[in-house]
Amino acid sequence: MPITESLCNSRFRASFAEPDQLLNAVKHLRAAGHRVLDTYTPFPVHGMDEAMGLKPSRLPRACLAFAVLGLAIAVGFQVWSSAIDYPLRTGGKPLVAIPAFIPVAFELTVLLAGLGVVASFFVVSHLRPRFHIPDLHPGSSDDRFIVAAELGPDVPFPTVAKEMSSLGATESCLLVDDRFHRESSFWDRPAGVGTLLVACLPSFLLVGSVLLLNRDFQQRNLSWDGGMGAPIAAQAYDSSGVLKGGKVLQPPPPGTLSRSASPALAFLAGKAEAERAGRELPNPFQPTQAHFNRGKVVYERVCATCHGREGDNNGSVIVARGAFAPTLLVSPVVRDMPDGRIFHIATFGGPTKMQGYGDLLSREDRWKVILYVRELQKAAARPIPAGGQP
Amino acid sequence: MSAPFTVPIRDLTKSGIPTLAEIGDRLRGGAWVFVGLGILLLVLGLFLQPERSWANLLLTAFNLACVGLGGLFLLSIQSVTGARWSDPILKAHRAMPALLPVAGVLMLLLWFGASTLYPWARPDAASQHALHGRLAWLNTPFFFARVVVIFSLWIWTGHRLARHGKGSAAFILVFAVTFTLANFDWLMSLEPIWSSTIFAIYGFSGMFLQGIAIVTISAIVLRQVGLIPAVSKAQNHDLGKLLFAFSCFWAYIFLSQFLLIWYANIPEETGPMRLLLQGKWMPLFYLNLVLNFGLPFVLLLQRKAKTNETVLLATCTILLAGRWLDLYLQIMPPVLQGGSPGFGASELGGILLQLGLGHMACWPVFMKDVNPAQELPQAE
Repeated sequence: MPITESLCNSRFRASFAEPDQLLNAVKHLRAAGHRVLDTYTPFPVHGMDEAMGLKPSRLPRACLAFAVLGLAIAVGFQVWSSAIDYPLRTGGKPLVAIPAFIPVAFELTVLLAGLGVVASFFVVSHLRPRFHIPDLHPGSSDDRFIVAAELGPDVPFPTVAKEMSSLGATESCLLVDDRFHRESSFWDRPAGVGTLLVACLPSFLLVGSVLLLNRDFQQRNLSWDGGMGAPIAAQAYDSSGVLKGGKVLQPPPPGTLSRSASPALAFLAGKAEAERAGRELPNPFQPTQAHFNRGKVVYERVCATCHGREGDNNGSVIVARGAFAPTLLVSPVVRDMPDGRIFHIATFGGPTKMQGYGDLLSREDRWKVILYVRELQKAAARPIPAGGQP
Repeated sequence: MSAPFTVPIRDLTKSGIPTLAEIGDRLRGGAWVFVGLGILLLVLGLFLQPERSWANLLLTAFNLACVGLGGLFLLSIQSVTGARWSDPILKAHRAMPALLPVAGVLMLLLWFGASTLYPWARPDAASQHALHGRLAWLNTPFFFARVVVIFSLWIWTGHRLARHGKGSAAFILVFAVTFTLANFDWLMSLEPIWSSTIFAIYGFSGMFLQGIAIVTISAIVLRQVGLIPAVSKAQNHDLGKLLFAFSCFWAYIFLSQFLLIWYANIPEETGPMRLLLQGKWMPLFYLNLVLNFGLPFVLLLQRKAKTNETVLLATCTILLAGRWLDLYLQIMPPVLQGGSPGFGASELGGILLQLGLGHMACWPVFMKDVNPAQELPQAE
C-alpha cells in the first residue's frame, strides 16, 4: 500500500538502551495521547502487555477448541474402530475400554492443541512465508529497545523527541519510508508457491509410494506391510521337526488343571471301580429341558461319531471306516446300568474299545450326556408306530 | 535494584485487619483443643475398632512427614536452581520441615500397633508362604530401625537446608532414596504381596501437590494481612500454574500406575485395585480423581481463575481434602481387609491431630521467618 506523505510524517520511532526506559516511554506516550504501534525488543519485556494496553490474547480459546477437537477425534475414532467397525475383544476388556483409550486421547489432545494454537497464532499474526517483517532498527535484535508510535493530534515531533530523550532515548526519528506498513502478497511471488510445494512434498511422497507399492487393490503384489498376512509362526496342527512328537501342538504339561476344574474324582479306572461308581454316584442333574439340550449337543458333537445319532451304532466312523462297533447304547445291558457306572465309563473308558473322555468333557457335560442317552434308550424301547416312521 | 521495602504492619491493624501475631494467638487455643480432641478420639477409636485407629495414626504420621518433606523439597529445588522469584511469596516452606520430628515420634508410636496394621508383623507371618521370603526385610525391629534412620536423615538434612541454606543437592539425593523406601515400607507393605514400582513416584506427586497447596494458602494469607507487599497478578498466576501443572502430574502418575495394573490384569496386582473399583469403595475411588484432578483442572483452567485468590484458596482446600482421601484409600482397604469404608471417631481424630500439630509445630517457625521487621524487596 502506498504510504502518503502525511502518514509518513506522523510516525516515528525511539530507541532505548534499557527495557525499563522503554516501559516508561511507552506509558508516557500513551498517557500523552500518542498511539503506540508496536515495540521491538531483543527479549520479551515483563509488563509490556499492560503498558501497551494490549487486550488479553484470545489464543487460549483457540487452544481449548483444538484440545476438545483432538479429544473428540481420539475418543471417537477409538470407539468407532474398536467397538463399531471391527469389534475385537482384547484381554477380556470391554469393547469400549475407557482406561485404554486415555493415552491416545491425551496425546491427540495435546498434539492438536499444540499444532492448532501455533497455526492460529500464524493466522492471526498474518505470519506466512515471505511476509515482510519491518526491521525498524538492527539493534532491536541485539541491545536496543525500540518503540514505534503515531503522533497524537497537534503535537509536533520535536517536542516528542525532546521528551523521549529526557526519558533516556538514545535517538528518535520520524519514519520516512514505507517499510513499516508494507505487506507483500503471498501469491504474487513464485518463491511463495515454491515454498508451498516443498511443504507438500512429504504428502506427495507418501501418497506416491502407497500407490506405487500397492498398485493393484484386487490382488496381492508388492507389499509394504511386511507380509503380516502370511505369518511365519508355526500353525497349531502342522508337523514340526523340532518339537516333541513331531507336532506343533503339544499336550499340556502334566498336572495342568482347567480353569473350571472341579475337585478330583475319588475313583480310579477299572471294572471294580466302575461298579462302585454305579453304587455310589447319583446323577446330580435333574432331567430338565436345559440339561437335556446340553446333553444332546455334547452327544451329537462327541459321541455320535461312533455310537450313532440314535444310539444305534450308526456313527460315521463305524459306517464309513468299518471300525469295531462299540457297545450298543440302547441295548438292555446299558439300559440297566446305573448312571454312575456310565459316568465312570465316560470318564475312564469302557471295558472294550471306548476311550476315557474325562480330559475332553467337563464333568457336568458327562452327566448331562447320560440324561440324553436315557432319552435315546426310551425312544428305542418304544414300539415303532404303524406308519413305519422311525 | 529495587529499593528496600518495610512492611507497614501497624497501619493495617487500624484498618481492622488482624496482624499475623493476633491470628496466631487466636489459632493457638484452637490448636490445643484440636490436638487434645484428636488424641482423645484416637484413643477412643482404639477401644472401638483398633485397626482403624492405628491406620489413622499411620495416615496422620505419614501425611505430616509429607508436609515437612514438601516444604523441604520446594526449598531445595529453589536453592538448586537459584530461584528468587518465590522468595517474597513463599514463606511457609521454611516452617513446614518443623513437622518432621513430630511425624517421627508418631511413626515410632506405631511400634505398638504394627501387628494390627501389617500382615508381616503378625505372629503367623512365618507360616504364610507368600510372606516367608519377605520377612528378612519386613520384620518389626528392622522396620523401626529404618524409620529411625530415615527420619534422622530427613531431620538432619532438613535442618541444614532450612536454617543454613546448605546441602540442597544432597537433600534431593537423600530424599529420592529415603522417600521411596518410606513409601514402600510404610504404605505398600500394608499389602505385602501387592507391589507397584511406580508407587513412590505416585506418593511424591501427591506430596508435592499438597506442599504447593499449603504454600499457596500461606502466600494468600500473608497478603491478606499485609505482610507481603501487594504483588502483581503474575505471582498469583505462577502459583496457580504450579497447582494446575502438578494436579495434572498427579493424574498422569495415577494413570501410569492404574493403567498397567488394569490392563495386565495379573491376579497378584489386581486384588487391591479390584476392591477399589468394584464395591463399596468405588465412589471414593472416583471422588479421589475428582478432588485431586477433575475439580482443580476445571477450576484453574482459565487464566483469570489462576490469578483469583478465592479460586486459588478453594482449589487448595479441595486438594488438601483430596490428599487425605488419597492416603485414606491407600491405607484403609488393606487394613480393613475388605471391610467397607467409614468416617468415624478415629478418622476425625486423625484429621484434628494433623491440623493441631501442624499449627503448633510450624507456626512459631513461620512467625520467626516472616518477621515484620524484615525488609522485603519491593514488588513491581
